[in-house]
Amino acid sequence: MLTIRNLHATIEDKKILNGINLTVKAGEVHAIMGPNGSGKSTLAAALAGREEYVITEGSIDYLGKNLLEMDPEVRAREGVFLAFQYPVEIPGVSTVNFMKSSLNQIRVHNGLPALDAVAFLKIMKEKMKLVEIDQSLLNRSLNEGFSGGEKKRNEIFQMAMLEPKLAILDETDSGLDIDALRIVANGVNTLRSKNNATIVVTHYQRLLEYIIPDFVHVLYQGRIVKSGTKELALELEEKGYDWIKAQLTLA
Amino acid sequence: MATITEKSNIPDAIKNAFDQRGLEPGDKASLAFDLFMAKGLPTAKSEAYRLVPITRILEKAFSEEVSAPSEQTNLSLFRSIHEQPSNKVVFVNGLYDAYRSEILDKSISLTFAQPPAPVNEQDPFELLNLAFCNTMVDIHVPESIIPKYPLAIIHYFDSPTFVFANPRWKCTVGANSEIAISEHTVTTETASYFNNKQSRLVADENTKVEFVTFQQGAEREIQVNNAFVDLAKNSKLRCYTFTFKGLLVRNNLTIAIHGENIDARLNGLYCLSGNTIADNHTVVDHRKPRSFSNEIYKGVMDGNSKAVFNGKIFVQPDAQKTNAFQSNRNILLSESASVHAKPQLEIWADDVKCSHGCTTGQLDEEALFYLRSRGLSKEMSRGMLLKAFAAETLEGIKSEQIKDLVNQLISKQLHQSP
Repeated sequence: MLTIRNLHATIEDKKILNGINLTVKAGEVHAIMGPNGSGKSTLAAALAGREEYVITEGSIDYLGKNLLEMDPEVRAREGVFLAFQYPVEIPGVSTVNFMKSSLNQIRVHNGLPALDAVAFLKIMKEKMKLVEIDQSLLNRSLNEGFSGGEKKRNEIFQMAMLEPKLAILDETDSGLDIDALRIVANGVNTLRSKNNATIVVTHYQRLLEYIIPDFVHVLYQGRIVKSGTKELALELEEKGYDWIKAQLTLA
Repeated sequence: MATITEKSNIPDAIKNAFDQRGLEPGDKASLAFDLFMAKGLPTAKSEAYRLVPITRILEKAFSEEVSAPSEQTNLSLFRSIHEQPSNKVVFVNGLYDAYRSEILDKSISLTFAQPPAPVNEQDPFELLNLAFCNTMVDIHVPESIIPKYPLAIIHYFDSPTFVFANPRWKCTVGANSEIAISEHTVTTETASYFNNKQSRLVADENTKVEFVTFQQGAEREIQVNNAFVDLAKNSKLRCYTFTFKGLLVRNNLTIAIHGENIDARLNGLYCLSGNTIADNHTVVDHRKPRSFSNEIYKGVMDGNSKAVFNGKIFVQPDAQKTNAFQSNRNILLSESASVHAKPQLEIWADDVKCSHGCTTGQLDEEALFYLRSRGLSKEMSRGMLLKAFAAETLEGIKSEQIKDLVNQLISKQLHQSP
């Protein structure tokens, strides 16, 4: 599904990614871990098409297409979804109206008819249950005055609505209490299928107790320095990131 | 001793036009014109008009061929825009048009009167209107009436040669009555005019008034809109000013709070592009205690457009327990667009709550990316954010028809489908 080759990215001339190689197949869950400032969020942003990041080298192949040539909205319509670490508050735009426009843009792009209000509300009601989100919240301005947990649940709600092929969760666990974490993880697990893939970007191992990854990668100084299975996450939790740094220094 | 002024900046065309009126020297209009002549048009030193090149623009406009206002006109454009039943007061190229005007509610009376003495003798444009205005359209809504239809004041312009127009209307709303007034400018694309209009709204005790002004004139429009509103105790005012087009639009809006327990809201939205200049000077004058005013003006500016916002709040010594608030927020979409904002609070009472705030920024890039990352195009995302920004200024408009019209004009201005 996704092949990242030798990806280099900079922001304001500062090098953040220094040659990322990563292959993600349909049905897989990959966890990207790493200390602060290692480039985890940059990788997530580069996949979603944030324009501040300049790709200086490398390629990203997504379902046989060049992802780097697509505008952010085209990536979304092709099935890429980024759950934001810091979801933006947008006064005056309700989640309901925004999701309706969004879903219909994606449907029309994929040759499906746009949904009318009734059909849309039916789908919305289903997905709301999944993340235990209340409709009154969705009628309010997008994320405005939402708690940290509500914002993250709203991200997963949007993901459920848009049914992406490739979902990237950027630090979705940050700022969540244990109940909210369970709800969010449950949403993600329910949406997992053999046809879609998930990249979970996280600092802590905690989220991975709920969303079991097939592969774990450690990102350090803009490179993937170690890959393994879910046991790697446990080892990291136990030994800390200094263990990786020490290994690298030895090598 | 009279001071010797520098070279007069009053275009000959204005002098000639006034001479042609052939008025007696003692006439009210002549006195107003003499006062105007002594003052001249605003210079770069005139504080109230310092930020807009109104005199330069007028001198250029008056140097072109000036045609006398004429009633010979093609009104097909006008018909298509105002098919809805309403009480209509129509000015064609600046002159009241009895044939096109119609009052459907029998309770509302329309008469003509001599313009009264100037409210602000310092304002050259008010003096000019007084000098040139033949007659004032005087609309009267009696006590305890809710008319079936709204009142629409329509300024129609279709002359490709420059017209100097000085319409004037007044609307008196009797105690316990309710009325919705909208003011429109309807023009052909090539129309050229200076609409120096003057209006006065007097709302008696316990009235509810909605007053919406649409400014979507011709590309070459020059407009000075002097509007005075007087509010008596227990009255409610919802005042909206929407500015979209024109070469130069200057609004002088003055709201006088003459009683207690008045609730006055003034909203404004200027959504500009090209070379349009929009200048909003507002005054909210609290003269009596225990009243409330809230002013929200917002701007979305593209191209080389320029906006001025000057919001004055006066709280007079008598006006204790006043609550008066003001905010002005702007979004600049281009590097060559500009805004000058100046809040001015003069508070002479000690037990009041007043605040003002002013911001100018760009469209929120984070929000734009967020919407795009969910599949919305850049244009759709932009439109969604700007409409959301503007929405606050539309709050409280009762008529769906008026609200639809504003939304359409905003969409059109943002090149969006509604």
